[in-house]
Amino acid sequence: MRTHDCEPTLTDSQVLDFCKSGYLPLEGVVPDDVNQRVVDFMNDHAPHIEPGDFANHEPNEILDEDWFIDGVMCNPVAAGAVRCLLGRDFALPRIMSSHRVHMPARAYGWHRDGGSLSNHELNYLQVYYYPQDTTVEMGATAFLPGSHLYWPFGQGSSGLYGMYRGTVSSAAPAGSIFISAYSVWHRRTESTASGIRNLLKYNYWRTTAPQRDWIREPDFDPATAVYGPGPDAPPAPRNSYLAVARMYFWLCGRLDDFQALGGQGWPKVGPVDYQPYGYPGDPTDPRVHQQAV
Amino acid sequence: MSLPQQAAIESCIERFRSGTLTELELRDTLQSLADGEDKRQELLYLQAGTASVNSGVIGMFIARDGEIDEGPPDPDDMPYDTVMDALNDGWRIIKFPELAVILDETRLHGPGVEFILEKVR
Repeated sequence: MRTHDCEPTLTDSQVLDFCKSGYLPLEGVVPDDVNQRVVDFMNDHAPHIEPGDFANHEPNEILDEDWFIDGVMCNPVAAGAVRCLLGRDFALPRIMSSHRVHMPARAYGWHRDGGSLSNHELNYLQVYYYPQDTTVEMGATAFLPGSHLYWPFGQGSSGLYGMYRGTVSSAAPAGSIFISAYSVWHRRTESTASGIRNLLKYNYWRTTAPQRDWIREPDFDPATAVYGPGPDAPPAPRNSYLAVARMYFWLCGRLDDFQALGGQGWPKVGPVDYQPYGYPGDPTDPRVHQQAV
Repeated sequence: MSLPQQAAIESCIERFRSGTLTELELRDTLQSLADGEDKRQELLYLQAGTASVNSGVIGMFIARDGEIDEGPPDPDDMPYDTVMDALNDGWRIIKFPELAVILDETRLHGPGVEFILEKVR
């Protein structure tokens, strides 16, 4: 098993945001020369595809290229974020999936990839990397924020729907990396451009127990933090904030402490300027009361 | 041939045998059969925030003529803001959201709940 460790780069707020949305965009973090080498590599190794077709293949040889390891897999910005979400000494990808489209091409339906386990745990990540500028016209992948917390994959016809409200596009410049919770809903959108679009997908894994060892913000207080989606976020199921808080606590290594008091108690959907009742360990935590009795 | 069409023919035959079938009734029956020949069911799937018909629409697609119409690429351009808007446009609900599924508030089952509506054209 190949592992990697580096300095964490995400703050408390960024980790909590990831718990809410299930994805983290890192635009243009891979250097141009590495992006070009990746495109060249894919051109040399990918099967031929006709316009309108796509090919999913696994050019795993690239995993042994030092320039790819340094520039992409262990890219300081991306790896620093992975370090925060999966802990130190996270395991590096074993498979490199290339999703190559000969545009123009039809959209692909909403889905979550096989192997998704939907719960509050974050033991593996799925990463999307664009080695070339990727526009909406090139069928950039769309994500449905917050869908990593859905259980299971919606109802039978979920994959046939068009663009849900709150959908976000991953259209981004070359060298952009999107780190996602593996189970987040996503789809390839329709492309109207011409030529080849490259997308690489790969996974990282956790090897250590979760703990709050990312960058701590002095002003961040888990008791008053906002676990709801926020005013500018897409619509979310009513109780999604509970799942978000549970996921955040799991990442902090405090799942055993997690509890929701209910009513106007902790956790909070929106901002508050007081300490809400029911924060784990607070005298209003029912378990503290039980112990006192 | 649909079951209602078969029933209309059987009724017509019975009235013919009993000598009560009029020319007008025969014409009406034949016309109704002709009208129904090309009719097809269209299905509108709406994902809404709650199981209320006043709920805002989150997503949609239409199944018609053997094709899936995803609707507009921009959700703000969807034809209906609420399920009620679709009803007012002539769609009929044929399946309400499955309440048994959404009663468990500890599970997040998807962006919303699903209404299925139809039109027969």
